[in-house]
Amino acid sequence: MNNNYLAVTKLNGALTLQDLGRASTQHLGFSVSGAADEYAFLSANKLLAVDAVNAKNGLITPNSHGLPVSEPLNHGAIELTFGQATFTTSANCVIAITGADCAATINDRAINNWQAHALMKGDSLVFSRPLSGVHSYLAVQGGLSLASSSALWLGSHAQTLNEMPLAFSGDKILAGSKVYFPNVQQMYQPEESHLVTTLAENFYAKKQLTLRFMPSTLFQQLTVEQQALFLTKHYTISAQSNRMGYRLIPNNVRSEQANSAIISAQLRQHVTLSAPVTYGAIQMPANEQPIVLMKERQTMGGYPTLGYVMKTDLFRLSQMRPGDAIAFVTTTLQKSQQQLTAFYKKFSRC
Amino acid sequence: MNDKKPLAQAFTITACSEDSLLLTWPEKISLSQHQKILQLQAAIEHKLSKVLIDTVASYHCLMIYYRFDKITMLALQNAIQAMTYTLVERESNSPQNERIHTQCVNIPVYYDIDNNWDLHDVAHQCQLSIEQVIRLHSEKIYHAYALGFTPGFCYLANLAPPLHLPRKATPRTSVPKGAVAIAEQQTAVYPNTSPGGWHIIGRSPIAMYQQVSGKFVPTIKVGQTVKFHAISKTDYQQLALAEQRNGKSVKNQQELADE
Repeated sequence: MNNNYLAVTKLNGALTLQDLGRASTQHLGFSVSGAADEYAFLSANKLLAVDAVNAKNGLITPNSHGLPVSEPLNHGAIELTFGQATFTTSANCVIAITGADCAATINDRAINNWQAHALMKGDSLVFSRPLSGVHSYLAVQGGLSLASSSALWLGSHAQTLNEMPLAFSGDKILAGSKVYFPNVQQMYQPEESHLVTTLAENFYAKKQLTLRFMPSTLFQQLTVEQQALFLTKHYTISAQSNRMGYRLIPNNVRSEQANSAIISAQLRQHVTLSAPVTYGAIQMPANEQPIVLMKERQTMGGYPTLGYVMKTDLFRLSQMRPGDAIAFVTTTLQKSQQQLTAFYKKFSRC
Repeated sequence: MNDKKPLAQAFTITACSEDSLLLTWPEKISLSQHQKILQLQAAIEHKLSKVLIDTVASYHCLMIYYRFDKITMLALQNAIQAMTYTLVERESNSPQNERIHTQCVNIPVYYDIDNNWDLHDVAHQCQLSIEQVIRLHSEKIYHAYALGFTPGFCYLANLAPPLHLPRKATPRTSVPKGAVAIAEQQTAVYPNTSPGGWHIIGRSPIAMYQQVSGKFVPTIKVGQTVKFHAISKTDYQQLALAEQRNGKSVKNQQELADE
């Protein structure tokens, strides 16, 4: 039973509980959902991994989570979006904060992002609106959950906005809500690591991001001119972007760009039936403003798909803001799989 | 149609993203084609469970989400193609048109005669009377082609051609739970409040899913047949109330079990 909690005393912005989502129930219509930025989410988890902590302290304990040590730790964490929030803890705990920098403080004392910190009973943790980035993550050692019994819904804590009416993954987190965590196994003062911060800075893009995507069959059917048109355009992230998808506005610098369609009317006629869609699918509605599907996408879609953005670039994309610049370049399945494998290896606990 | 055609020629296999493979059949709504899709899905789920994350069937596609750390795309592709040859053999020995699910789901509908939604508008656009719309919608037996959009939302086809209308130009930001709707050749029941662009012609009082022992059980499963029948406003209200009470009592049992 998780009896300890972080009380949300102030909140302005979206706050949800996330983990790596529920990928095995798409056939029932459930969105996979999960942390928008897996780099930050997994970093927060890794900073608090019991194995890592015990290894550092010279203790070796059997794997308490049941996961093979090569799998990254997947405890529920808070995802705060453009967040301003204040938390008070009911018990001592160790936390980790990552993602968009919220100039966090504990009892008004500034604490570093991308680090673990000790939080003592009664302490006040404040997040201010980040100057850059979108999502911030707050993890507590042992994992966060919503009900005091830490129930998972279909294997995940992830909350999906469209699925809140089902009331299966807990209530919407508001000021006054409590988010629970287990008794701390071993209270300690975490050491700060400079390496984690440097690696994080190297992972993300600033203001401009080129998305590497695996072309679809449809893309391969386009003429060379149409493909070039798509690849040479520059796009701006629109304000109509969210956890479901990022809508991109093409910058039609040259007049001929504005008049040519990437997908011809003839080709568009053939794609009408709803079909399953994946994370990272580049959807092209009739207005040719591409939509890149993100974590909370629906499982089925009806627009033509030009290709699939590689996952590591999607994690980067999730921290880009409306107004930022986007471009596309093709890549291969092999390269994408290699990148993702290397990515997850970083977060395995051995 | 030549039913003896090997499955392998009937669909293409293409890699999508790092962990997804798409099987695509000719783009049409066809019962026999869909049954083949479901048969292949069942075989894949049975044989390749160790490397699968999920499989999602739709009208003419089957998406395979797989553990690319456990199997390469090519090995998976080959395994699927090998399976199709076995299925063709089995097919020639078994009765044709065998349904995966034989039970028909009956859905009571209070059709929107009071014009709170789109029934009158649909009748007008299709140049039919209200009675004709209701008859055309409720006399057909539909086939469940896909689950998606929201949990438990099931795409049903084929709607009678006189009722075919494009989606609403401006989708509603909120469609009520239980709304019975149509768009193009499809009909569906919205399992929960959600945005929606289909034309609402009635309301159903029954739940479109159950929560059983922590599992989500949709009322309509892919591959099933569905039929709608008209009920009165009084019956609708009574059934809706009973459903609400039922839902509450089920929830309380769950809460008790957790403590």
